[in-house]
Amino acid sequence: MRRAGLDLGSVNTKLVVLDQEERAYCRVIPSRFDSVQAGIALLKEYSQREEEKIDKLVVTGYGRVNFPEGRVITEITCQGRGCHEDFPEYPFILDLGGQDAKVIKKNSVGKIVQFIMNDKCAAGTGRFLDVILKGLDLTSAEMDLAAEAKPMAINSMCTVFAESEVITMLAKGVPKPEVVAGLFKSTAKRLANFVQSMGQPETLIFTGGGAHYLLLVKFLEQELKGSIVIPSEPELTAAFGAALLA
Amino acid sequence: MENRELWERLNMDLDKHDEFLAPVPQIFTELFLNRENRPAGMGYFDAVVGDVHGIRVHELYAMKETGAKVFSTFCVYVPEEIVVATGSASIGLCAGAQFTVPSGEKVLPRNLCPLIKSTMGFKLDRICPYFQVSDWVIGETTCDGKKKAWELLNEHIPTYVMELPQKKNEKDARLWEEEVREFASFIEGETQVELTKENLAQGIEKINNKRKALQRLAELRKHNPAPIHGLDVLLINQLSFFDDPVRFAAQVNALCDELDERVKAKVGAAPADAPRILVTGTPQPLPAWKLHALIEKAGAVVVGEETCTGERYFKDLTEPADTLTDMLANISKRPLKVNCACFTPNQGRLEDIVTMAKNLKADAVIDFNLQFCQPYGVEGYFVGKEMEKQEIPFLRLESDFSEEDQGQLMTRIEALIEMIRG
Repeated sequence: MRRAGLDLGSVNTKLVVLDQEERAYCRVIPSRFDSVQAGIALLKEYSQREEEKIDKLVVTGYGRVNFPEGRVITEITCQGRGCHEDFPEYPFILDLGGQDAKVIKKNSVGKIVQFIMNDKCAAGTGRFLDVILKGLDLTSAEMDLAAEAKPMAINSMCTVFAESEVITMLAKGVPKPEVVAGLFKSTAKRLANFVQSMGQPETLIFTGGGAHYLLLVKFLEQELKGSIVIPSEPELTAAFGAALLA
Repeated sequence: MENRELWERLNMDLDKHDEFLAPVPQIFTELFLNRENRPAGMGYFDAVVGDVHGIRVHELYAMKETGAKVFSTFCVYVPEEIVVATGSASIGLCAGAQFTVPSGEKVLPRNLCPLIKSTMGFKLDRICPYFQVSDWVIGETTCDGKKKAWELLNEHIPTYVMELPQKKNEKDARLWEEEVREFASFIEGETQVELTKENLAQGIEKINNKRKALQRLAELRKHNPAPIHGLDVLLINQLSFFDDPVRFAAQVNALCDELDERVKAKVGAAPADAPRILVTGTPQPLPAWKLHALIEKAGAVVVGEETCTGERYFKDLTEPADTLTDMLANISKRPLKVNCACFTPNQGRLEDIVTMAKNLKADAVIDFNLQFCQPYGVEGYFVGKEMEKQEIPFLRLESDFSEEDQGQLMTRIEALIEMIRG
């Protein structure tokens, strides 16, 4: 029997299909402002490539309510379930997605006991990092240098204000790697406060596209004075959880 | 007199008013009239909303023609008994619409409580007939935003401000009693009606009867299945502020008779397994229906509101007394039992929330905070801690009167429901 989880996110749409308990198929494509169409395309592509059909489907993510098929479960429950499979021993999850950031606390059997999400602005989300990084137009060499650079303090957390703060810094001649390091450090500080408003984890599970930024992970560990574990494909855990719940 | 003629006489901006009211019938039909399992007794309240800027405004206008005055309030601390005793009207004004927020922001900071901005906008835009028919606004010093906004509002309508203390010690009670006595003299002067022990006893009785009816309705919600939608009760609570108190109490009691039958027959507005939610926090003035509508759309049922558009308004009665002096003293005692976040400390509110959650068999508590409300925002920390201690599932939400964050709110509410259902 095949179970599938489809995570219709604001930036990317992800599909995970399980054959019994094993991952048999995973795909990520950009949502391009229409996650429902992206989800339909993913399912179509799956049926063209694979012989075995999907028996049960759970849809999650912000596009879930408009999707024509599947059982609907929120990304909070799915994220918790997916992470519990890989890390049953750690209660705290930080998920940094395109549109929101959330902290989830689960118990020893994987049941969600508490969660918080950022308010309705983009501050501290993956989108915030994307907007600023895109504006900086970095080469990979500059990105590498950022790991060693002294972080420049960025105070604004409003995406628009932060962008203009960055522009001002560059105009003053601050090297790009220092700006990038500052960007990750200020984001890490904000995320650490966000986590600590719920608890003080020794080890934090970090998921979502944001977990790919290694410099952010480094600063976050410093801020939290704890360790961070990242699933092998951190943007897929909600879809994986959805498939497990299907 | 036709509604439009009346509105014109009240110097309203008719075009803007049309624009404001145009979407209301459709919204009301979707959120209320189209729902299933509503008690027949909601018919009266639906009719009030159906002509929300008409019939009651005509009544108030007619009262004024005979020499009475209309006093508008924004807070459950203002003693309406005194106004009603003189034969004048005390009405709580609507302040829960996004439509008037931009106008409010012309004179107020943007990062201010939406309730205050909406209020100000209603007056500046001249689209609320209740505001237009009012002789006075009765303000109070509950929060800094309101306290300062009264000074601006006073440029447009005479505004009287009662000084509410910030603590609940003996000397605070003395100050408040003095404020209540001063208010009584002010009302006597304005209405040219002397307060007597007869008319004040009647005023107390009328308002107590209204509160008793609302208490009875609130108590019925503890049953499972819930006999009435939370959104319907919210509407009744909202209307309680400006309807005629005697007629209103009779209608609420008639509804409760029907709900008694429902409870006996185990008939519910929501299924017996629907998660039961207690809402706490800042008020939801008319027409702020978003939170309740979303919670109930997600399959849960709201069984109580520890808010000023709920329990805080009616949970305490004014004790009757034999002399005018004692009556005024008792009138001043009641509000100080109300646990608003404008007081420090405010431990009583946490006890109220826990007691309500247990009595109503709530599965979870939602702490709702209007954006930029400092007292409730800060107090949210203690609410969260108490809920953790009591092991009551808990969600904090912040929003305003706008519509665009419904998706985000819904995700959080649905996740809470999944959490409860396990």
